[in-house]
Amino acid sequence: MLLRRSKLLLSPSSRAAGHLVCRYFDVIVVGGGHAGTEAAAAAARVGAETLLITQKIKTIGVLSCNPSLGGVGKGHLVREVDALDGLCGRAGDWAGIHFSILNRSKGPAVWGPRAQLDRDRYREFIQSELLSTPRLTVLEGAVEGLLVSEPNPDQPGQIKVTGVRIAGGAQPINAKSVILTTGTFLSGALFMGQTVSQGGRMGDPPSCSGLSHTLRETLGLKIGRLRTGTPPRIVKDTVQLSLTKVCPGDKQPTPFSFLNKETRCKPEEQLPCYLTHTTPGVERVVKEGLHLNAHIQQDTKGPRYCPSIESRVLRFPGREQQVWLEPEGVASDLLYPQGLSMTLPPELQLRLIREIPALKQAEIRTPGYGVQYDFVCPTQLSPSLQVKKAQGLFLAGQINGTTGYEEAAAQGLWAGVSAARAALSLPLLALSRTQSYIGVLIDDLIVQGVTEPYRMFTSRAEFRIVLRSDNADLRLSTRGFEEMGCVSMQRYKEAVRMTDGLRDAMAALESISMSCTKWMEKLGQIHLSKTKSAKLNGLELLEYKDVTFEMLASAFPGCLSAYLEFSKRLKIEGLYRPHYMMQEQEMERVRKDENLSLPQDVDYLTLPISLSMEAREVLDRAKPHTLGAATRLPGITPSAIVHLLNYVRKTDKEREQERVHI
Amino acid sequence: MFLNSIAVWRISSFIRKEFRFNLTKNLCCKGIYDADTIFALSSGHGMCGVAVVRVSGPASALVLQSMAGLSRGLPPPRTAVLRNVTDPRSQELLDRGLVLWFPGPRSFTGEDSAEFHLHGGAAVITGVLQALGSVPGVRPAEAGEFTRRAFHAGKLDLTEVEGLGDLIHAETEAQRRQALRQMEGELSRLYQGWSQRLTRSLAHMEAFIDFSEDELIEEGVLNEVDLSVLQLQREIEGHLQDGRRAERLRSGVQAVIAGATNAGKSSFLNLLCQRPAAIVSPTAGTTRDVVETSLNIGGFPVVLSDTAGLRDTGDSVEMEGVRRAKERVQLADVTLVVVDSTQLPQNYQSVQNFLTDHLRSILPNEDDLTASLQRCLLVLNKRDLLSRRTVDGLQKSISQAEGLPLASLLSCQTGDGLDDFLDVFQDRMRTLCGDPLVGSVSLTQARHRCHLQQCVRALSQYHRYRDVDLALAAEGLRLALTSVGRITGKVGAEQILDIIFRDFCIGK
Repeated sequence: MLLRRSKLLLSPSSRAAGHLVCRYFDVIVVGGGHAGTEAAAAAARVGAETLLITQKIKTIGVLSCNPSLGGVGKGHLVREVDALDGLCGRAGDWAGIHFSILNRSKGPAVWGPRAQLDRDRYREFIQSELLSTPRLTVLEGAVEGLLVSEPNPDQPGQIKVTGVRIAGGAQPINAKSVILTTGTFLSGALFMGQTVSQGGRMGDPPSCSGLSHTLRETLGLKIGRLRTGTPPRIVKDTVQLSLTKVCPGDKQPTPFSFLNKETRCKPEEQLPCYLTHTTPGVERVVKEGLHLNAHIQQDTKGPRYCPSIESRVLRFPGREQQVWLEPEGVASDLLYPQGLSMTLPPELQLRLIREIPALKQAEIRTPGYGVQYDFVCPTQLSPSLQVKKAQGLFLAGQINGTTGYEEAAAQGLWAGVSAARAALSLPLLALSRTQSYIGVLIDDLIVQGVTEPYRMFTSRAEFRIVLRSDNADLRLSTRGFEEMGCVSMQRYKEAVRMTDGLRDAMAALESISMSCTKWMEKLGQIHLSKTKSAKLNGLELLEYKDVTFEMLASAFPGCLSAYLEFSKRLKIEGLYRPHYMMQEQEMERVRKDENLSLPQDVDYLTLPISLSMEAREVLDRAKPHTLGAATRLPGITPSAIVHLLNYVRKTDKEREQERVHI
Repeated sequence: MFLNSIAVWRISSFIRKEFRFNLTKNLCCKGIYDADTIFALSSGHGMCGVAVVRVSGPASALVLQSMAGLSRGLPPPRTAVLRNVTDPRSQELLDRGLVLWFPGPRSFTGEDSAEFHLHGGAAVITGVLQALGSVPGVRPAEAGEFTRRAFHAGKLDLTEVEGLGDLIHAETEAQRRQALRQMEGELSRLYQGWSQRLTRSLAHMEAFIDFSEDELIEEGVLNEVDLSVLQLQREIEGHLQDGRRAERLRSGVQAVIAGATNAGKSSFLNLLCQRPAAIVSPTAGTTRDVVETSLNIGGFPVVLSDTAGLRDTGDSVEMEGVRRAKERVQLADVTLVVVDSTQLPQNYQSVQNFLTDHLRSILPNEDDLTASLQRCLLVLNKRDLLSRRTVDGLQKSISQAEGLPLASLLSCQTGDGLDDFLDVFQDRMRTLCGDPLVGSVSLTQARHRCHLQQCVRALSQYHRYRDVDLALAAEGLRLALTSVGRITGKVGAEQILDIIFRDFCIGK
């Protein structure tokens, strides 16, 4: 069944799987979750004829776990995906029913835009968005394996992926690039109490074992196993909400997307979240049920930051834990208990939640469960998210060992851009850590690898003062249009207008320079700590807590009032400007290191440079793409970097000389 | 007797500079693949019982095979064997000694290495060194090259290299002791401890930023960070205010001879270094530029500078000399003010006022004359021209004077009174440098000082933004950690996250 047909490729009558007129695409995306949908949309935006294959079309865009988007660190990713014209930001603005900026009191660099979502609206938005994307076809089916052939000798890689095999005997489909975004479905196993069943999500069929086999055996990739879980869903009417703390959304919702001035949900229509706490009784139930809990007894690595209630209680006993009861949608009669992910047998789950006073009479609609799944160790990927060994194969999302919708969407978008560019014979690009959280995410994955599901935090970004959620458009949208080709003209024009407007406004602010005494006379109720003789310009003045751009604009309406629409952003720019200047130098150094690429065909174990055996082994395992990546490898000493640097410079020079000789 | 103990240590300081230069140069632009095999006499020069010659590099095995008769097989690693050492060209027997084989990477340099423990005669050593030089691919080591190779092989961290570099070239006893202590990692441990505490503070701060919205992380966490940062700041500042003692010990105490023209400053310099380092003449204004020499005073290194006599002059060259003299006095750790004692007033009561006025004209007094006076020692010269009675009277009056620096009455002509002066000077050295084996570990490197100063500045950024913008406050902690990390090694984001998850129950 086709959700959307492309006029060029399909006859109007051929709508079922296996009846594709065209068996050749630029890009095939396998999986319709957050990574898959962003990947497919991005590839199509770049200009590739794209096919999205998913098990069930009606589950495209489903929020499998929590009904929320964004947060601290994650909100940055949503804003960046939006700045590159991705889907999730606009979908969040459409589906959001409760908006708040987390960390409001801690400084704009770490603000975390977040929203509770209506599950139905989110899914509908994503599906209709994909439906109207040109060059994108959607096919329902299960992928059984990958088509491979001899590699292109001009490029690194031992094998070439040329398409996919569909289950049920249909003919294989060819493509120049294939993106796998299979989430938890790769050899997925579901745990509840002592029962274990095959699958990646409750209610969906398990994915074919053939794909896992291809990755392991045919491609010889290193595979690891991770686990995650989801809490039971609770019937709202059975909860005593009077015993909880009611937390309303922000009075003025802030949209995720740079294109939206407001959210679909009106401020007064927002639904609240409810906060409650665990009791010692919860701990008791966990401990009683431990022998019935197959998931917890296994030693597969789970996340430290999104653990089940069982592992929280076991690791930090005797503590009261927070439980957030989150709305699931405008029309939904369910609440999602954030913090109560569990894998106990269903009857114990009910006993456990009823130990919480507000949930004393609560009913469970669907019990919580755990998932264990395979992931591909992401150190085997290049910065474009292409598998180093396999030409044309890209991976994104949980298959790379990450957790979270936002992390998946960010990778999906980048894999989509890369796969499309590869298919269209355009040069592959890399996103720098110095420019985006997406760059930080990908660099961390491919350089450090993962030992537990990877989630974004602001503390992972060393240039946090510069990489803010408010300026993602300035950092990415123009590049996205000019270099990557994944940004629409409309967004590009808006980003250029914003960049120019902010630049002019800052220049205007800097042109107004006065002594502190004069400023205080002019503006009245402000307090400046600087010595009275020192001169300050308007931009520097914005660094002070109680100075707003509006105040300055009303004092100098002639040159500033034209920029009033930027006032919030100008205030933030003014606050961080001095620190931006300081970080710029360090960012430049990192960028330089990232520009020094290391050859991929080097045998580090025998390389004739002075390196310790430990360093050789680390380098051999990681095969870093750039000197910058090498510096971030654990166990690499500064002296090893010096030697690598010299080696790179020397080989560069030798290559140059060779060229001269030719 | 004392004069024998004065050794010129300028050479050592030259070598040290050279070593550091080579280290930096090689780190920056040279030294890719150490294909060469190097050798050097590792024990001291001169007569000694046992001399150790070290060899490092890929040809080490070849050296052992061709010079120690081991062509049929190398000895077990790190085991001493007694062998005949022969010249590979002539097969002539050079010595009989212990030979050791250290296959890389488990050696000091990380490369294949060998050691020859020989009899310490000059002829033996020269013979072995010449023989080594004849083996193909083997050459004498540059200063500090063994250490550099060890560093490149990841065998030493930066503080250890600095400690080792100093040890190799430590000429004075006190320097050697301090270098040893640094190499043992005491300084590393101190900095490491700071780094760990900073990491923890930063982790707690980051936990508050990244998780407090969803988790039970109380604001109390930040109060703890406040306290910890304040404590740390105090400790680092205290460390920085050690009066530059250890750094002085490394690079020498700056002692400047100053005074009026013809007071005998240059004669005093020549007396101290026991050679005519400066031109001496009865003409006022003979010394026009700064003359500098290095001395060892009781085990402490001293850089002694003679300066132009301070007077108003129309001669442009001399004027420049006077300007430079004043500049030196500003920067000095000790100012030795030489006074012509025949110019002192006959009336002993007015000697104190005279000297106070005189010092005021010579010492920098814009900021704080008391501080300048504390840095000063008085040398009353030309004692031989005074009568016995005058000498006694003078000595009595200066010993009773209040507010005057310590004074020594001596004669550069005869050397009378020099021992008394040296006792006073040595005491002062001890105060300035400290005994390296007593008290807290102090700074030895200007580099450490610079990073620690940056760290303290960054910590004040934390306080400045603590109530305004937590991202900027955390940035202060990060910068502080990076600065300390420049000394001890870096701290990555994962380590910070490890602490977050160890110390907090994060459950979202």
